[in-house]
Parts: sequence; C-alpha cells; structure tokens
Amino acid sequence: MITFTNVSLIYPNAERTIVEDISFTVNEGELLLLIGHTGAGKSSLLKLINGLIPHHTGGILTGEISVAGRSTRAIKPGELADIVGIVGQNPINGFVSDIVEDEIAFSLESLGVAPEIMRKRVEEVLDLLALAPLRRRNVSELSGGEQQRVAIAAALVTNPKVLLLDEPTSALDPIAAEEVLSILHRLVHDLGLTVILAEHRLERVIGFVDRIILIHGDGSVDLGPARQILSNSPIAPPLVELAKKLELGEIPLSIREFRKIAPEISERTVQALGKNLGDTILTINYVSASYDQDQRSKALSDVSIKVNGGEIVALMGRNGAGKTTLLKCAVGQAPLTKGEVRVKTRDPKSFTDKELIRFVGYIPQDAGDLLYGQSIKQECDLADLDNGIESGTTLSIYKELMKIPSLNSHPRDISEGQRLGLALSIILSAQPALVILDEPTRGLDYEAKKVLIKNLKKIASDLNRAVLISTHDVELVAEVADRVIFLADGEVIADGSSKEVLNASPAFAPQVSKALPNNSWLSLSDVERYLSEKN
Amino acid sequence: MSNSLRASNESFHPLFYWLWALILLVILLFSKSALISLSISIGAVALVLMKRSNTYWYQSFRWSIRLAALAFTLRMAIGVIIGVPMPGQVLFTIPSITLPDLFVGIRLGGDVTSQRLTTAFDEAILLVALILIFAAASALSNPHEFLRVLPRKYYGIGLATVIASSVAPQSARSIERVRAARRLRGESSTGIASYTKVGIPVLEESLERSIDLAASLESRGYGYFPNPSRYRPHIWRLRETVALAAPIYALIFLLLLPAVSSVLLAGLLLIAVITPGFIS
Repeated sequence: MITFTNVSLIYPNAERTIVEDISFTVNEGELLLLIGHTGAGKSSLLKLINGLIPHHTGGILTGEISVAGRSTRAIKPGELADIVGIVGQNPINGFVSDIVEDEIAFSLESLGVAPEIMRKRVEEVLDLLALAPLRRRNVSELSGGEQQRVAIAAALVTNPKVLLLDEPTSALDPIAAEEVLSILHRLVHDLGLTVILAEHRLERVIGFVDRIILIHGDGSVDLGPARQILSNSPIAPPLVELAKKLELGEIPLSIREFRKIAPEISERTVQALGKNLGDTILTINYVSASYDQDQRSKALSDVSIKVNGGEIVALMGRNGAGKTTLLKCAVGQAPLTKGEVRVKTRDPKSFTDKELIRFVGYIPQDAGDLLYGQSIKQECDLADLDNGIESGTTLSIYKELMKIPSLNSHPRDISEGQRLGLALSIILSAQPALVILDEPTRGLDYEAKKVLIKNLKKIASDLNRAVLISTHDVELVAEVADRVIFLADGEVIADGSSKEVLNASPAFAPQVSKALPNNSWLSLSDVERYLSEKN
Repeated sequence: MSNSLRASNESFHPLFYWLWALILLVILLFSKSALISLSISIGAVALVLMKRSNTYWYQSFRWSIRLAALAFTLRMAIGVIIGVPMPGQVLFTIPSITLPDLFVGIRLGGDVTSQRLTTAFDEAILLVALILIFAAASALSNPHEFLRVLPRKYYGIGLATVIASSVAPQSARSIERVRAARRLRGESSTGIASYTKVGIPVLEESLERSIDLAASLESRGYGYFPNPSRYRPHIWRLRETVALAAPIYALIFLLLLPAVSSVLLAGLLLIAVITPGFIS
C-alpha cells in the first residue's frame, strides 16, 4: 500500500537529516504505530506519506514514496485526497467549517461528489463514529474527544485507503482515548483500512497495533513486529518496563499476556513513607463558577477542596469537567459566582501582580504563553528582574532541574520538555507556596516525563510546596500524586488517595496495578523500591 | 433539527456583509461628507449590536472599536499639531516650532483655526467609518463559510482571504489568553505596556494556525478538482437582495441628486445601513 524506497529528508538550514536512506513497505489493512522521541520526526514521516512534505512544508526529499501506486513526488497532496486521510495534532486548527456535518462533507465537496452520494456518505460516517446526535453542533463547542472523532470522520468520508493520525489521544481523557482507538481498530478489521498513528502514550495504543516504526532521531528507523521493536527500544510502555524489571524474559503487549507469565510476588507490607503534611495552602469552599452571563451552565458547582504543603494532588476528569476552571480559582482568574478561595489566608483576587507570584506559581496548558524572551539567558534574567532576586538564580534553578540546552537558543526552538522546565524554573524562582500545572505531560515523551516526575517530587518533598496538577495521564498520576480529586460536570466525584481513586475504575487504573492486582503498587517506582529493598 | 438540503436559515449569505461593506465604501468615497461618515459609523455599530452573537468573530468587534478610537485620536492630534497654515477664525494658538529648511511648508504648532479643526475632524471620522464598516463585515460573517462560497478556481485568493479575515478575531482571543498568562509571571495586567509583550506569541500562534488550516485544505483536495459540489448550498434569497437594495438606492440617490440636503441623505443612509438588522 505504501512503499518507501531509499527516502531521505532534510530541511534547508537544518543540522541533521530527519530520515536517511530508509526503505520499507506497509501492507494493506495494517495498523502501524510510529514512535520516537519528541522532535525525532514522527510528524514529518506522516506528512511525507500524503505529500504535505515537500509540497506544502518544504524540505529536500530524495528517493521515492508511493502510495497506492501514486508517487507523492509527482502529485500534490490534494490529488491524494481520495486515498489518504490525515488528522493533525490539533484538529481544531484544521477545521474549515463550523458545523459538524459541513466539516465532514468538505472533502466530498472538493472532490465534486454528487449531492445524493455525498449525503449517503456523510450519513454513513456519522453513524460509524457515533456523531449523529452532534451533526448540527458547532465544532468549537465540542469536547476534545468529540473534535477528534469529527476530524477522523472528515478524513474517512472519502473512503480513503490510508488514514494518518498524529497523536490522536494526547489531548483526551483515558475513556475518550479508548473510544477513539477502538473505532480505529474496528475500521482496520472491517474495512481493511491502513492506519498509521504517531503516539507518545504507548500504554494506550500498544494493544491495538500490528507493527511499530521506531524513529531513532539520527536518521535511521526500525520497522518490525511490536514485540521485537519494544524489546530493544529505549521507548516502552510501563508494562514492558515492568516485565524487564522483573526479568521475565518476554515482552508482554497486554495485561492478559503479562498475567500469563507473571510470577506471584509476595510483598512484605512496605510501609508507605508517611509524609509530613505542611499547613493548608489552598482552601476552596463551596465554590461555583460559570462562564455564562445568566449562569445557565455551571463550570463548577459547590466544589470544596484543600491542598496542603508537601502534597502532590492530581485533578482528573473528562475534557470539559471543570479542571482548568478550578485551577484558575487559585489565581483569581475564574468567574466565581459563589463561595470563597483562600491561598494561605488571602483571597487570590486581592493579590497585586507582584504578590501573586510569591503565593502561586501557575503553568498554563501551553507553557510557551509564559515566555517572551529572545533567548533562554534573557528569559532567566527577566525572571530575576521581575522577582527582584539575585541575578542568575533562575538559571541555576533551571540547571538543577535538567540538562539545559544552549543559553542562546530561542525558547521556541527547544524541546517541549525543556520549555516546560524553563517555565517551571521561572515560576519556582519566585518561591511560591503553591505550584500549579495544567496538563504538563501533553506532548512529552517518556524521558522528559521522567525528568518532570523527579522534579515534581523534589518540589513537594524537599521544598515543602503544595503541588496541584490537572492531567489525563494516569501513569503520571500513579508516579507522583499522593491524592486524586476526580471532577465530573463541575462537581467533585471522588477525593482520596491515588490508590483508592485510580483503582476504582479499570479505565483509570495504571498498568502496574492492573498487571499485579494482588500487590499494592501503582507505579514502576514502587516496584523498583521493592526490588531494591529485597536485594 | 432541519434536514433540508439548505444551509442554516439563521444567517445571511456569507458574501452578503462583504458586498454590503463594499457599497458603503463607495458611498463614503463619493460623498466625502463628515455627516455621512458619521451616520455610517453609527449605523455599523448599531447593526453589529442588533446582530449580537457568541461567536469568536463577533467578539473581535470590541477590538475594532478600540482601533477606530485610536485612529480618530491620532488623526485629530496630528491635525492640531502638524499642518500647513490655513485660513479661518483662530481658535487658539500653541507655541510653534520652526523646522529646518528641508521641511519647507510644514510647521509644528502655531495658530489652530476652525478650518484646520474641521478638516482634521472630517478625515478622522472618515477613517473611523472605514474601519467600522470592515469591522462590522468581519464581525457578522463567518470566515470559514466565506471560504466555502468562493469559487475554488481562486484557491490562493480564497485561502489568503480566510487567513486574513480569521487572524484578527482569533488573535483577539489569543491576546486575552496570553495576557492572563503574563499576569501569572508577575507582569502588570493593566495599562498599555501590558499589550506590548504579547505580540510575538500571538503572532506565532496565528501563523501556526494558518499553516495548519492551509495544510488541512490542501490535504482535503480544496481547489484541485474543477467542479466542486455543494452539500448544503448557501442560497441568495429575497431577504439578502432586499437588505442590499437599501444601501444601493442610497448610492444611486447620492450620485444622481448631488444637490439634495446631506442631512436627509445621512438620515436615509442610517436607515439603509441598519436594514439587515430588521430582516432575519
């Protein structure tokens, strides 16, 4: 279906080639997963397949790529529209109309399909992706999962032979992600569609895929059966890491496979390190909030929570459940209609701009919003100046957090993880009592996530700060959080220890606790601690 | 839920407000009267308020109003400070600075005459009217729908227009978000200075969005096939014609009867401009 023959790609002015002399073939009806570190070239490889590279984005391409017998070099992406569908990283940016139905029909309109056939195709796809109830809704009002489904429907409506998806689940909660993936799985099996998807969160997709393409980042790629690639890959889901840690000698791809080979581990009851919690930092009492002027729909209703110093609390829940609104309460940016918020003893609305950063450090979903310097050096100097602290402080915090890139690089050009680290050190330089992160792991690879996890733990335990994170990432929560607060429809549904809340529903249970249900472990580091104590 | 093969009934044809703006532009340029500029400005604002909606393109209108106010102030200030000597009654005098010979005929300060003030005002209000007409058109029409009705032969033009007309409203949203984020860094959130540092991230974001949109159009075959079809065609109905007829009549009136009182004309025009507000 797709053949790469001696393909190399380099961007003008770039120091390294994205891929170099790669050749492989993808068969019809395969579900292929594309993995690699951030910036290794996953998106580029997808765009090569439908010709957006080099026709749209530029880049120097040598070798030959053919999709269903057509060469992407000879024809433009538009002429492949009937055989390749692509869904980008942010579907909302690619939407060309506002109504779900019109959005789905767009490709058919472009291809000049007759109206009667078009209506039938649109109906079929609406049913296939369970979008019929949303057909007249505005795309911008939909949740992330629904938007993702609309984008997939819009790509599928032309009956393409190949579907390309760039991180289809990174913005979704576990349940919505599951939904999207099982739809893809069904399409592959029922229609013989060829699907290639790039994804960071392997634990979500690994059970569905046939083969994996691993992009090393030095120009070479490996293509092989999932098991074979994962046995040597630096990137692997927690389940595979667990099997390696326990030296099981096999690579399990699903919980079922793991349990077949898993040993029974009798665990000496390891006393969880009793944490000394500090004073209450954040108090939210019976808060309601609404973005409507007439308060018809509530973003939050009667929410009460407390967060103490030294504690990491994770806020979970569906897209649109009110997580970000709740976080914004702490900086006085939420439209409260009722209730009170206290940071230590102060109402955040009463903070002046300079006071705010000494109480609350807040990293918004897009950490880049906080940055405006022209280089890392300038950014750190600005932060020192803003906070009135000794110059060089912010930079030394940054250096402590991670291996930093060159001081002269522009904050836009560094990796996602490095940018998050920079924002984090700027926030920390003001020494806030409460640190808030909104969806910090979106777009982070496993390596960057490990660094973040280490740093969050340090911030909470060594510096005794309160940390509040909103996230969809179950594995992150399992690693760092002491407590989980679960929101649904603006209400607190559960508030308890991570173990209780996560294990209450299979969709939210982390892989380690699903794999070893008789033990009390949630994450790999729990297992590591056990193993090191045993020896 | 309507299942007819028609676009939604609620909104006007996507090209309507752009044609409306074009006609008003011609009227403005032909009349050159402050009274007519004023009545068109008031009409445009009134119409936008009558058609209030929750869409992001509508939300951009308040930024346009600020822009219009800024343009007005600047033009008036320049009119008072810089200028060639003009006859007329001297209202007040500001200290004058003589410039080097290079700028012969131009001076700073000096006598401010009534004539000079009226000229400045006429031009300032014309500027305001121009800004408001196009702000109203972009606040009332959906940029994405505009793309769908453009002939696809003009792929490049369509794309450029959509990007241009959606950048302003979407940037307005980005500005709000980035300013809120800046406050989280201890930046002051009030005053003009707070706007100066948001430029780069906002531009970057709108650039990225435009590239994504263009890539999406391209990979979905936009403009590649000679005869596109329509899923729910937008139909130009009687109400669009009626609503557009009013400003056209005003234009004809202006061209054929130059002697008619401009107060009468301005009044008629005001009604013509807000006509779409009464038709739904």
